[in-house]
Amino acid sequence: MNSNGKKKSFVSKMAESRNFGLVFSLVVLLIIAAIITPSLFSLGSIISMLQNNAVYGLLAIGEMFVILTAGIDISIGAILSLSGVICCRLMAENPTVPAIVWVLLSLVVGALCGAVNGVLVGYFKMVPMIATLGTMYAFRGISFLFSGGQWWFPHQFTEGYLKFATLRILGAPAILWIVIAVFILAILFLGYTPKGRRIYAIGTNRESSQIAGIKEGRVVFLAMTLCGMLAGLAGMLYTANYATCSYSIGESYEMTAIAICILGGVSISGGKGKVDGVIIGFLMMSVITYFISLLPGLSVWSDAIQGAIIIAAVALNVYMERSAEKRALKERGDLI
Amino acid sequence: MSGEKNVKTTASVRDLTVKQGFKLSKFLVSWEMVLVYILILINIVLMIAKTNLYFSHGTIQAIIQSGMDVCPLVLGMIFILMLGDIDVSIASTMIFASMITGLCYQSGIPTVIAVLAGVLSGALCGAFNGFFVAYIGMPAVIVTIATSMLFRGIVKIVLDVNVLKEFPVFYTTVAWANLAMIPLALIIFLVMAAVFVFVLHKSNFGRKLYIIGNNPVCAEYSGINVKRIKMIVFVLMGVMCGVASIFFVGRMGGSVSSTMGTGYEMTAIAICVLGGVSTNGGKGKVYGPVIATLIMAFLTYTLGLLDVDANTRKIVTGMILIIAVLIPNINRQLVANIKLKVVYKGNKNVEALNNRTVNEVKRLKETILEVKRDKNLNASDKAMKIKKCEDKIVVLKKKCKEQTAVWLLEQKEDERSAKARFNSK
Repeated sequence: MNSNGKKKSFVSKMAESRNFGLVFSLVVLLIIAAIITPSLFSLGSIISMLQNNAVYGLLAIGEMFVILTAGIDISIGAILSLSGVICCRLMAENPTVPAIVWVLLSLVVGALCGAVNGVLVGYFKMVPMIATLGTMYAFRGISFLFSGGQWWFPHQFTEGYLKFATLRILGAPAILWIVIAVFILAILFLGYTPKGRRIYAIGTNRESSQIAGIKEGRVVFLAMTLCGMLAGLAGMLYTANYATCSYSIGESYEMTAIAICILGGVSISGGKGKVDGVIIGFLMMSVITYFISLLPGLSVWSDAIQGAIIIAAVALNVYMERSAEKRALKERGDLI
Repeated sequence: MSGEKNVKTTASVRDLTVKQGFKLSKFLVSWEMVLVYILILINIVLMIAKTNLYFSHGTIQAIIQSGMDVCPLVLGMIFILMLGDIDVSIASTMIFASMITGLCYQSGIPTVIAVLAGVLSGALCGAFNGFFVAYIGMPAVIVTIATSMLFRGIVKIVLDVNVLKEFPVFYTTVAWANLAMIPLALIIFLVMAAVFVFVLHKSNFGRKLYIIGNNPVCAEYSGINVKRIKMIVFVLMGVMCGVASIFFVGRMGGSVSSTMGTGYEMTAIAICVLGGVSTNGGKGKVYGPVIATLIMAFLTYTLGLLDVDANTRKIVTGMILIIAVLIPNINRQLVANIKLKVVYKGNKNVEALNNRTVNEVKRLKETILEVKRDKNLNASDKAMKIKKCEDKIVVLKKKCKEQTAVWLLEQKEDERSAKARFNSK
């Protein structure tokens, strides 16, 4: 976008970049929140806010992989529920098994679910929306069958299991460190590995990347499997964080994950978007949901507010893309 | 070629019709007929499993009525999918419309105006979607996901945990009454479907939908106002949501709360896809989804009677959705692709050669049959010709095999040398 960047001043570059707008609105939001509820505005409450929303961060990164390939995955809420239920039930039945096994199991379960989506979308060329709609039903149903309609409560959880989310390291809970690690891995994967760059290539231009020798089906399969894997991990961490589990957890979480991606500037038509944008979107969404839940009488508004935010964010995205095009045209005119 | 006059006359009578004659063999294997077979199959299963219940008075009517609350949504969704878009906010819109009607009726506004207000509010929601999709150019999936949260959020704000219980009396009549042994809802559904059939298959507007679904850019260049048509279709969807609120509230016994009707959008989309409407746009008919609505009603009822619980039924719905989309995908192209990969090792030359050889062998075999049937030739000539052809076949096959082996060997050699080159760098 900024091909001849040396002509521009630092300030104008800042104003043009999307992240600047996001960070700016995040700061404004925080200031408003601090004015309304000053007592809750402390380091401890911010950490607990991030801890409660950490699952969305994992889901959003996974969803981002899929949206970058110009697809969409709305089954991640169901995958989260399935992996959470499987881990909880087996954990409650075999309390002596070390807890790391359940983390690995959740990754495997999530990857398998994602692979089903990946085969349907990547190799059978189904429309992503429809395929994941179907698998969403299927995974949620399997989750119910496996749980038998049962609930799991804190006294049934082993300590090692809970520690994966709540153990304090340097003042922050383990779940936050895991999310940060996933963010870093995602930055490295998308930015510096051939496979990550292929995801961008497929999303930007399907035909030309195919002609360039990228196997489209394989890349889509990989993206969807990774997305499922992260959703599976999120399921295990969710149950460990709240120490409760039932088949109905994670309903409509996919919508929040998509909202975070769009807020963070990931283009729904694929190929555009960066991990740092998603991180800022994640921070913003957690601030919004946290302060909605704090203010009395506002909890019924949360759905409507979230919906309005998504529409506004997408409209902003479209506007930014168009103005970028206009700017590029103008720069070209100046050069001539 | 014979002269200018002749050319002119032939040019003016160029026949552009693509209509083919009615063929029974084709009609019997069309997707709509397959759906009818499935419907009959489900009926037979139900008949065998619960014979007494099936033939008792009113069972079939009850089954059909149980599936009719989603029917207006299906009809609207056909048009949306035809454009290549999708609308997942329909359930929320439906609840929103029923809330408006309920509030109006509660405050003593005349019935007709209250119902009209509900339908209008549905249209308004549809227009809201349509504005963002058509004029701002946002993707339909995201817009409708957001608006589904927004509309349901508004209902939650207004109703909180209250339940609206006052609705016009005719709502329950529509959903539960029978007219001469036929459910009233089914009659209304079929009448609406007839209107939709007319609009989609016979009118100017319907043909434009097909063009837009197949190629929006092409439609734009051929002078169709794509934005306006998209807007109209989304408003129509909103109106159908308003109509669906009548069926839905009646079905629920005349009450509405903010958490009702979740998952209706999925059912509607599943029915449309099962009915043969392509989600890529531009393909499908109204007849298919109409039959698929009945299939879904019978299927859910049958599974319920066979003691399958609600969540397993969800799995079945999901599976049906996936399989219905997969079937048109698993066609000859896919088989050919797999064959190319597995048998011919991805070598297109080998594939082409093999296909050509198969065709030539086929033609030679046909000539052999012809020679055998030929009565003008005497026995020795026949034998000679047949032998010639058979020899040719053997030679062709041998050539093909040899060439294939050579090419595959070359390919292997190329790959190895390429790898060596790559490694040396």
